[in-house]
Amino acid sequence: MLARNETIFKWSLYGAATLALFLLQGLVLQRIELWGVFPFLFPVEVAILASYEGPLPGTVFGLVLGVCCDLTVTAAIPCFYTLIFPVVGLAAAAIAGSVISAGPVCSLACSAAGFLVTDLFYALILWARGQDAWAAVGYLTLRETCVGLLFSPLVFLLYSAVYKKCHVDD
Amino acid sequence: MKDFLKRNGLWVLFAVAVIAVSLAVMSFFTTTSSPLANAAQVITSPFRTAFTAVADWFNDKQAYYADYKALEEENQELRDQIAKMERSVRQAEADSAENKRLRELLNLRPQEEKWELESATILERSSSNWTRSFTLSKGTDCGIAVHDAVITSEGFLVGTVSKVGTNWCTVLCITDTDTSLGALVFRTDEIGVAEGDFQLMDEGQLKLSYLSPEAQLLNGDLIVTSGLGGYLPSGLVIGSVEEVKLDDSGSTQYAVLSPSADFDALTEVFVIKDFTVVE
Repeated sequence: MLARNETIFKWSLYGAATLALFLLQGLVLQRIELWGVFPFLFPVEVAILASYEGPLPGTVFGLVLGVCCDLTVTAAIPCFYTLIFPVVGLAAAAIAGSVISAGPVCSLACSAAGFLVTDLFYALILWARGQDAWAAVGYLTLRETCVGLLFSPLVFLLYSAVYKKCHVDD
Repeated sequence: MKDFLKRNGLWVLFAVAVIAVSLAVMSFFTTTSSPLANAAQVITSPFRTAFTAVADWFNDKQAYYADYKALEEENQELRDQIAKMERSVRQAEADSAENKRLRELLNLRPQEEKWELESATILERSSSNWTRSFTLSKGTDCGIAVHDAVITSEGFLVGTVSKVGTNWCTVLCITDTDTSLGALVFRTDEIGVAEGDFQLMDEGQLKLSYLSPEAQLLNGDLIVTSGLGGYLPSGLVIGSVEEVKLDDSGSTQYAVLSPSADFDALTEVFVIKDFTVVE
């Protein structure tokens, strides 16, 4: 159990790491195209942090990052990321809590689940709008997941460093 | 997990619902962007501008050392194209003069098409793999509004403004799934709807649907905006017919369109803030 000051310090570090990733995403990654898509790290960030911190911090972090994304990223509906990122956080925490313990393998599994949940939600919105292109949706999900997983070690190293620094006694 | 859901589930759900509804309501009731989204974009705008400048500088340097042979070939192709276009211009000038004389004989008002343009730089391309959009460097401070058409320097339609803030605006490309425009087949005057299709979006194409059963389309037919609805001026070039297909039911035909604008090569575009057309 961390003291109040330590908790504030930890979340400040997480905040700084997330801001750095936010800038990396907006300024660099969006200009890199691999397999026809650019690396989209936001679901990976929510998934990896939730796998370390558990359901409540993971869900709240997903909610905050979702709001930030909805304010800056184009989406199908105005509150798309606000709705789906808490679910990603919850799913990742569930995987880390009951299937694989937090670590490199878990971060890959949680990130893949994060992409699956996010892209499934997108597919449902498209379907509701009469665009039932399931094969194209599946192919895009596959490419986005593979390219996202390629960059997930970067997020993992950053968040695990913060976690280890702040949970020395655990 | 069960404990977490029991203890905090309702609170988290409540927070998600309140924020989601607030974002949706703000987005629905404002003709521009919501104040929060505007603030976020205004704050991030200088970073994007700076980084775009650096990225463009590198691209320029890279282009400077591009294959000399390829440039020579392109130069020759362009010379041939100019020669053809000069012939077309001479013919068009003669046609215009004839048209003017005939309109005067019939006492018709002279044809007029005035556009009020605002140039803007592309700061950012699609921020998600699921949409096709651009963020531009101009916003309400320059008189840009939602639904304004965005064109290239050649007059090819790029898309329409979907969100606008103080010094930025987001343009939905014509290939995006949320785009739907009144369209006209230039050769036959057939009316249809040019709309984004998820399957075609990845290939940089769009769909021309709601065609009449008698529509006779040919590959290469030019598709322009119809101007119906009054949001967009008529005659803006959308693209050309790549292929004519039948839908899944086999009863209705639609055309696959290739946009005339080269989205990847764009760095600067023009927003049509206002227009007057006298047919």
